[in-house]
Amino acid sequence: MTGMAWLCKREILRVYKVWTQTVFAPVISSLLFIVVFGLSLGGRIRMVEGFHYREFIVPGLVAMAMMQAAYSNNSASVFQARSDRYINDVLSAPMRPWQMNLGVNMGGWARSLAIGVLLLAAAIPITGVPVHHPLFMIAAVLLGIVLFGALGVVVGIYAETFDHHTFVNNIVILPLAFMGGVFYSVSRLSSPWHQLSHVNPVFYLVNAMRYGFLGVSDANQWLCLGVTAALAIPVYAWSQYLFSSGRKLKA
Amino acid sequence: MTPALQTEALTKHYDDGTVALQDFDLTVPDGAFFGLLGPNGAGKTTLISAVCNLIRVTSGDVRVFGEPADSLPARAWVGLAEQDINLDRFLTVEETLVYHGGYFGMSRAQAEARATEMIDAFDLRAKAHTRAPKLSGGMRRRLLLARALMHRPRLVILDEPTAGVDFELRTELWRYIRQLHSEGTTILLTTHYLEEAEELCEEIALIKGGRLIARDSADGLRERYEATSLADVYVKAMAA
Repeated sequence: MTGMAWLCKREILRVYKVWTQTVFAPVISSLLFIVVFGLSLGGRIRMVEGFHYREFIVPGLVAMAMMQAAYSNNSASVFQARSDRYINDVLSAPMRPWQMNLGVNMGGWARSLAIGVLLLAAAIPITGVPVHHPLFMIAAVLLGIVLFGALGVVVGIYAETFDHHTFVNNIVILPLAFMGGVFYSVSRLSSPWHQLSHVNPVFYLVNAMRYGFLGVSDANQWLCLGVTAALAIPVYAWSQYLFSSGRKLKA
Repeated sequence: MTPALQTEALTKHYDDGTVALQDFDLTVPDGAFFGLLGPNGAGKTTLISAVCNLIRVTSGDVRVFGEPADSLPARAWVGLAEQDINLDRFLTVEETLVYHGGYFGMSRAQAEARATEMIDAFDLRAKAHTRAPKLSGGMRRRLLLARALMHRPRLVILDEPTAGVDFELRTELWRYIRQLHSEGTTILLTTHYLEEAEELCEEIALIKGGRLIARDSADGLRERYEATSLADVYVKAMAA
């Protein structure tokens, strides 16, 4: 087992040790969205893109829960490690920068996947949502968690206070998710909101996920996957740069 | 013989303009018990951070047993106990040691066996499954030292290891560090306790303003500064 494998294991252990906060709470919160919006209000909403509303919202909610988990896990873990300075134990270890970067990203990915699997296990029997293109959905999930996990690492490295970590989540990620078509199809929006939605990067991830589940999306599915990949690669490269250069990690 | 640590023209300027080290040359022989003395801000911790890859050096060269300090072998040969307690808040005592061993290349079996050994050596058995934030100050200090020694480093760097530690624990730590040195481990110690440096170190370097101003044995320094004690040496050297 290499140093990187131990670091991955440590990040996953952290998720496991506080599982009520890291996994249970987000799953319950997303299920409440499904119950309240999908089942309670869903009966009053017409079919959306040929699907019951309770089915329509599941892909977006799964995407939102997973990307928030990937982001918040990694930003909090890295910030705590920097703040308490136990990150020095990793920085001084005989590991290459890419191993450190991959290791700290792993916790967010594991947490996201745990949430995604549990949500699916609950949402499929509750709502009857289909999974038309499972491989496409898996590709979208992987790109999404790489993107938001790496963003979390970057913010965790730059953050000076814990508020910075929560600020990005509450003021950037959550609003973009809500406006990215989690609860509605942007095709129903009038101009200019319809066009503006296409500037929102989360729109593409939500629609890639929706295509994976339902086989429909508000934009070409390959464009959705491509845009998510085009964002994930530079953000991951950014977190890699921070470990390679030591910028913000080392004085 | 290849020295345990060698710095050549090591310079570190922080972003705020502070010059922590300037053209700093130092050689610590293999197997030495070497002390670094100097006031706060002299550059001791910066030097240690440069050796352990915790800062970006401005210029100069740092070698550990002949290898560049940022190389993987050199990193594996160094064990650091920092001045501040920096323990992972999510890990228990045992996990802290096992994971550290893992980061430094030990197999699971090796890490677990060595962790058991260190837990017994540092009298941490009763708290083996307690998380670091719930330990007393003395226990945390012991764990910090145990972690630094976990992967059997050839060069152990102790940055004020006995700061804020009571007399009994200090004596106990001294005994363990001496034993370690007798087994051939090179020790680099920074301390503000002059009697500690005099008691333990074979050679002492005095640092001021990021520069090396003197290095010798305690007796050699007393002779050079015409002083009766190391405290007098320190006062004269720092006033010069």
